[in-house]
Amino acid sequence: MKRVRIAALTAAALTCAALAAPIGALEKGERAPEFSAPGIAGGTISLAAYRGKVVYLDFWASWCGPCAQALPALDQLRQEFPATDFQVVAVNVDREPKLAQAFLKKRPVGYPSALDPKGSLPAQFGVASMPTSFLIDRKGVVRHVQRGFRAGDVAPLREQIQELVAEAR
Amino acid sequence: MARWLAALALCAACLGCADVRPWERDALARADMAWDPDPLAAALAKHIHFSKEGSLDGGPGGGGGCGCN
Repeated sequence: MKRVRIAALTAAALTCAALAAPIGALEKGERAPEFSAPGIAGGTISLAAYRGKVVYLDFWASWCGPCAQALPALDQLRQEFPATDFQVVAVNVDREPKLAQAFLKKRPVGYPSALDPKGSLPAQFGVASMPTSFLIDRKGVVRHVQRGFRAGDVAPLREQIQELVAEAR
Repeated sequence: MARWLAALALCAACLGCADVRPWERDALARADMAWDPDPLAAALAKHIHFSKEGSLDGGPGGGGGCGCN
Protein backbone atom coordinates (compact mmCIF):
# COMPACT_ATOMS: atom_id res chain seq x y z
CA MET A 1 0.00 0.00 0.00
CA LYS A 2 2.88 2.31 0.88
CA ARG A 3 4.52 1.56 -2.49
CA VAL A 4 1.29 2.39 -4.29
CA ARG A 5 1.06 5.70 -2.46
CA ILE A 6 4.66 6.59 -3.30
CA ALA A 7 4.09 5.65 -6.94
CA ALA A 8 0.90 7.71 -7.09
CA LEU A 9 2.63 10.67 -5.49
CA THR A 10 5.55 10.46 -7.93
CA ALA A 11 3.17 10.23 -10.87
CA ALA A 12 1.23 13.25 -9.63
CA ALA A 13 4.41 15.28 -9.14
CA LEU A 14 5.70 14.37 -12.60
CA THR A 15 2.36 15.25 -14.16
CA CYS A 16 2.48 18.65 -12.51
CA ALA A 17 6.02 19.19 -13.76
CA ALA A 18 4.95 18.13 -17.25
CA LEU A 19 2.04 20.55 -17.16
CA ALA A 20 4.53 23.31 -16.49
CA ALA A 21 6.56 22.35 -19.59
CA PRO A 22 6.57 24.53 -22.74
CA ILE A 23 4.24 23.76 -25.70
CA GLY A 24 5.46 22.29 -28.99
CA ALA A 25 6.73 24.53 -31.79
CA LEU A 26 4.98 25.10 -35.09
CA GLU A 27 6.75 22.88 -37.61
CA LYS A 28 7.32 22.82 -41.36
CA GLY A 29 4.17 21.77 -43.19
CA GLU A 30 1.75 23.19 -40.64
CA ARG A 31 -0.53 26.09 -41.38
CA ALA A 32 0.54 29.33 -39.70
CA PRO A 33 -2.09 30.56 -37.23
CA GLU A 34 -3.91 33.70 -38.37
CA PHE A 35 -3.46 36.66 -36.08
CA SER A 36 -4.10 40.37 -35.77
CA ALA A 37 -1.99 42.57 -33.55
CA PRO A 38 -1.39 46.31 -33.10
CA GLY A 39 1.43 47.68 -35.25
CA ILE A 40 4.35 49.50 -33.67
CA ALA A 41 3.69 52.42 -36.00
CA GLY A 42 -0.06 52.32 -35.34
CA GLY A 43 -2.82 50.44 -37.13
CA THR A 44 -3.27 46.68 -37.10
CA ILE A 45 -1.10 44.00 -38.61
CA SER A 46 -2.88 40.89 -39.77
CA LEU A 47 -1.18 37.83 -41.26
CA ALA A 48 -4.22 37.14 -43.45
CA ALA A 49 -3.54 40.38 -45.32
CA TYR A 50 -0.33 38.84 -46.69
CA ARG A 51 -1.97 35.70 -48.11
CA GLY A 52 -0.74 35.17 -51.66
CA LYS A 53 2.75 36.44 -50.79
CA VAL A 54 5.72 34.64 -49.29
CA VAL A 55 6.10 35.94 -45.75
CA TYR A 56 9.05 35.83 -43.39
CA LEU A 57 7.55 36.17 -39.91
CA ASP A 58 10.24 37.19 -37.44
CA PHE A 59 9.86 37.18 -33.66
CA TRP A 60 12.31 39.66 -32.15
CA ALA A 61 13.06 41.70 -29.05
CA SER A 62 15.24 44.74 -28.30
CA TRP A 63 17.20 42.73 -25.70
CA CYS A 64 18.10 39.95 -28.14
CA GLY A 65 21.62 40.38 -29.52
CA PRO A 66 21.25 38.28 -32.69
CA CYS A 67 18.04 40.21 -33.49
CA ALA A 68 20.14 43.37 -33.81
CA GLN A 69 22.07 41.59 -36.58
CA ALA A 70 19.00 40.04 -38.13
CA LEU A 71 16.89 43.18 -38.59
CA PRO A 72 19.13 44.98 -41.09
CA ALA A 73 19.92 41.70 -42.88
CA LEU A 74 16.21 40.95 -43.27
CA ASP A 75 15.54 44.46 -44.51
CA GLN A 76 18.25 43.94 -47.13
CA LEU A 77 16.75 40.58 -48.11
CA ARG A 78 13.27 42.10 -48.35
CA GLN A 79 14.50 44.62 -50.91
CA GLU A 80 15.86 41.89 -53.17
CA PHE A 81 12.37 40.69 -54.06
CA PRO A 82 9.29 42.50 -55.40
CA ALA A 83 6.91 43.57 -52.63
CA THR A 84 4.10 41.71 -54.37
CA ASP A 85 6.01 38.44 -53.95
CA PHE A 86 7.81 38.64 -50.62
CA GLN A 87 7.27 40.51 -47.36
CA VAL A 88 8.93 40.50 -43.97
CA VAL A 89 6.58 40.88 -41.00
CA ALA A 90 8.00 41.16 -37.51
CA VAL A 91 6.47 40.56 -34.10
CA ASN A 92 8.12 42.34 -31.21
CA VAL A 93 7.83 40.66 -27.82
CA ASP A 94 9.31 43.36 -25.58
CA ARG A 95 7.28 43.71 -22.40
CA GLU A 96 7.63 47.46 -22.79
CA PRO A 97 6.83 48.56 -26.36
CA LYS A 98 8.80 51.80 -25.89
CA LEU A 99 12.00 49.70 -25.83
CA ALA A 100 11.13 48.35 -29.26
CA GLN A 101 10.36 51.86 -30.52
CA ALA A 102 13.70 53.16 -29.21
CA PHE A 103 15.48 50.22 -30.87
CA LEU A 104 13.85 50.89 -34.22
CA LYS A 105 14.64 54.58 -33.97
CA LYS A 106 18.33 53.67 -33.90
CA ARG A 107 18.00 50.88 -36.48
CA PRO A 108 15.00 51.66 -38.70
CA VAL A 109 13.72 48.97 -41.04
CA GLY A 110 11.29 49.17 -43.92
CA TYR A 111 8.98 46.36 -42.83
CA PRO A 112 6.12 46.39 -40.33
CA SER A 113 6.42 45.18 -36.77
CA ALA A 114 3.51 44.07 -34.62
CA LEU A 115 3.56 44.47 -30.86
CA ASP A 116 2.89 41.56 -28.51
CA PRO A 117 4.05 42.51 -25.02
CA LYS A 118 1.98 39.73 -23.42
CA GLY A 119 3.69 37.05 -25.51
CA SER A 120 0.52 35.35 -26.77
CA LEU A 121 1.78 35.08 -30.37
CA PRO A 122 5.14 33.43 -29.58
CA ALA A 123 3.25 30.99 -27.36
CA GLN A 124 0.82 30.26 -30.23
CA PHE A 125 3.67 29.74 -32.68
CA GLY A 126 5.70 27.72 -30.19
CA VAL A 127 8.76 29.97 -30.27
CA ALA A 128 11.57 28.00 -28.64
CA SER A 129 14.46 30.44 -28.96
CA MET A 130 15.09 34.07 -29.66
CA PRO A 131 14.99 34.97 -32.46
CA THR A 132 12.74 32.46 -34.22
CA SER A 133 11.32 33.09 -37.66
CA PHE A 134 8.86 31.28 -39.88
CA LEU A 135 9.07 31.26 -43.67
CA ILE A 136 5.46 31.00 -44.83
CA ASP A 137 4.48 30.25 -48.41
CA ARG A 138 1.76 31.91 -50.48
CA LYS A 139 -0.86 29.51 -49.15
CA GLY A 140 -0.08 30.23 -45.51
CA VAL A 141 1.88 27.03 -44.82
CA VAL A 142 5.12 27.12 -42.83
CA ARG A 143 7.94 25.89 -45.08
CA HIS A 144 10.94 26.62 -42.86
CA VAL A 145 11.53 27.44 -39.21
CA GLN A 146 14.62 29.57 -38.61
CA ARG A 147 15.88 29.22 -35.03
CA GLY A 148 18.46 31.80 -34.05
CA PHE A 149 20.26 34.01 -36.52
CA ARG A 150 23.82 34.08 -37.79
CA ALA A 151 25.26 35.96 -40.76
CA GLY A 152 25.64 32.69 -42.67
CA ASP A 153 21.88 32.05 -42.52
CA VAL A 154 21.08 34.71 -45.11
CA ALA A 155 22.26 32.83 -48.22
CA PRO A 156 20.26 29.63 -47.56
CA LEU A 157 17.23 31.76 -46.70
CA ARG A 158 17.55 33.65 -49.95
CA GLU A 159 17.54 30.37 -51.89
CA GLN A 160 14.46 29.14 -50.07
CA ILE A 161 12.64 32.41 -50.65
CA GLN A 162 13.50 32.25 -54.35
CA GLU A 163 11.98 28.75 -54.54
CA LEU A 164 8.82 29.79 -52.74
CA VAL A 165 8.41 32.97 -54.78
CA ALA A 166 8.64 30.84 -57.94
CA GLU A 167 5.69 28.72 -56.77
CA ALA A 168 2.29 29.56 -58.22
CA ARG A 169 -0.11 31.70 -56.22
CA MET B 1 -3.88 14.51 6.80
CA ALA B 2 -0.38 15.98 7.15
CA ARG B 3 0.89 13.55 4.49
CA TRP B 4 -1.72 14.64 2.00
CA LEU B 5 -0.93 18.29 2.65
CA ALA B 6 2.74 17.52 2.09
CA ALA B 7 1.83 15.73 -1.16
CA LEU B 8 -0.20 18.73 -2.29
CA ALA B 9 2.68 21.06 -1.45
CA LEU B 10 5.04 18.88 -3.46
CA CYS B 11 2.74 18.97 -6.49
CA ALA B 12 2.41 22.74 -6.20
CA ALA B 13 6.20 23.04 -6.00
CA CYS B 14 6.55 20.94 -9.16
CA LEU B 15 4.16 23.30 -10.95
CA GLY B 16 6.57 26.05 -9.98
CA CYS B 17 9.21 24.33 -12.12
CA ALA B 18 7.84 26.13 -15.19
CA ASP B 19 10.49 27.35 -17.58
CA VAL B 20 10.97 30.99 -18.24
CA ARG B 21 9.66 31.26 -21.81
CA PRO B 22 12.30 32.21 -24.39
CA TRP B 23 10.57 35.53 -25.08
CA GLU B 24 10.51 36.34 -21.34
CA ARG B 25 14.27 36.31 -20.89
CA ASP B 26 14.66 40.09 -21.14
CA ALA B 27 15.89 40.40 -17.53
CA LEU B 28 18.35 37.55 -18.05
CA ALA B 29 19.81 39.35 -21.06
CA ARG B 30 21.04 42.28 -18.97
CA ALA B 31 24.81 42.57 -18.68
CA ASP B 32 24.66 42.41 -14.87
CA MET B 33 22.80 39.08 -15.15
CA ALA B 34 25.59 37.45 -17.12
CA TRP B 35 27.49 34.67 -15.40
CA ASP B 36 30.70 36.65 -15.98
CA PRO B 37 29.81 40.29 -16.62
CA ASP B 38 33.51 41.12 -16.83
CA PRO B 39 35.14 38.28 -18.81
CA LEU B 40 38.70 39.54 -18.22
CA ALA B 41 38.28 39.85 -14.46
CA ALA B 42 36.54 36.46 -14.41
CA ALA B 43 39.40 34.84 -16.35
CA LEU B 44 41.95 36.30 -13.92
CA ALA B 45 39.96 35.17 -10.89
CA LYS B 46 39.51 31.69 -12.38
CA HIS B 47 43.23 31.38 -13.05
CA ILE B 48 44.09 32.41 -9.50
CA HIS B 49 41.45 30.07 -8.10
CA PHE B 50 42.55 26.89 -9.81
CA SER B 51 46.14 27.82 -9.40
CA LYS B 52 45.61 27.94 -5.65
CA GLU B 53 43.37 24.86 -5.74
CA GLY B 54 45.97 22.92 -7.67
CA SER B 55 43.11 21.21 -9.52
CA LEU B 56 41.43 21.32 -12.90
CA ASP B 57 38.90 24.04 -13.55
CA GLY B 58 35.30 22.77 -13.67
CA GLY B 59 33.95 25.93 -15.22
CA PRO B 60 30.54 27.54 -14.64
CA GLY B 61 27.34 25.71 -15.50
CA GLY B 62 24.63 26.98 -17.84
CA GLY B 63 21.67 28.98 -16.65
CA GLY B 64 22.52 32.62 -17.08
CA GLY B 65 22.22 34.80 -20.16
CA CYS B 66 19.48 35.64 -22.63
CA GLY B 67 19.36 32.20 -24.32
CA CYS B 68 19.58 33.74 -27.78
CA ASN B 69 20.86 31.61 -30.65
